[in-house]
Amino acid sequence: MADAPASPGGGSHESGEQSPRSNVREQDRFLPIANISRIMKKALPANGKIAKDAKETVQECVSEFISFITSEASDKCQREKRKTINGDDLLWAMATLGFEDYIDPLKTYLTKYREGDTKGSAKGGDGSAKKEAHPTPIPQMAHQGSFSQGVNYASSQVLSLSLSLPHSNKNVHVLSQCLLKKKQFDCPRGV
Amino acid sequence: MRQAGAYSGVMYWKTGPHSLPLARIKKIMKKSGEEVKMISGEAPIVFSKACELFIEELTKRSWMIAMQSKKRMLHKEDVASAILATDVFDFLIGLIFNETAATAGDVGESENISVGC
Repeated sequence: MADAPASPGGGSHESGEQSPRSNVREQDRFLPIANISRIMKKALPANGKIAKDAKETVQECVSEFISFITSEASDKCQREKRKTINGDDLLWAMATLGFEDYIDPLKTYLTKYREGDTKGSAKGGDGSAKKEAHPTPIPQMAHQGSFSQGVNYASSQVLSLSLSLPHSNKNVHVLSQCLLKKKQFDCPRGV
Repeated sequence: MRQAGAYSGVMYWKTGPHSLPLARIKKIMKKSGEEVKMISGEAPIVFSKACELFIEELTKRSWMIAMQSKKRMLHKEDVASAILATDVFDFLIGLIFNETAATAGDVGESENISVGC
């Protein structure tokens, strides 16, 4: 008299095992507040103080920022029928969504990282044979062709439109974003 | 205690610059959508720096608003005002409004808006 041999495991425990997975813990949704607080303090003058609620708000905003950029990059990957989101996609998404100011520092950062990492594995914990990681003066001369090409492609289009547009000028900037999106479809080789 | 950071470039780039945990960034990325399945090793590294830049920008803009109200302490309202005043932060408006609605009820956000632009 077997009741339900097809279903594995006891049915009574189902809900108990499912709930922790669906109920996302705070640690999984946000970056550590201590790290966020440290970066915030760095951006303020020495006498500047930060209330706890401000830290928590920024903490939420950062997660939202990651999701926002990732979604845009993910859409691009889907359009191009690729499965893996890479650094190029994220940089492209940031340029598209108005964070073009971040591109150059990120390129420099990534170039430095790659230089310090070329001999070792990208993910492994053990160090590589390279002794020093000196910064490259020209970020465009990154070793990885595909990366620098992709970024130049994205940022040149953005720059051509937003050179004289400060962030504070809201209307013009929104307009430039609309133009940018249009332009990306019209002329893929830009400037 | 190792003398990391002095001249050991490799160790510095393994530990030092990523001021935000890469595994946590990856988790948040994966939660952004069903279709986000595979993430290259470099993507969280890009984000670790990008988030740093983002936090700095948001903090500086919030601080400018706090200074305008002659405050020496940064509060949530200043962050909210900075978001409302900056167009690239438009994607955060929903988050701010949800929060204020949940906590403070009908606080006049329109007053905050006028501070920025």
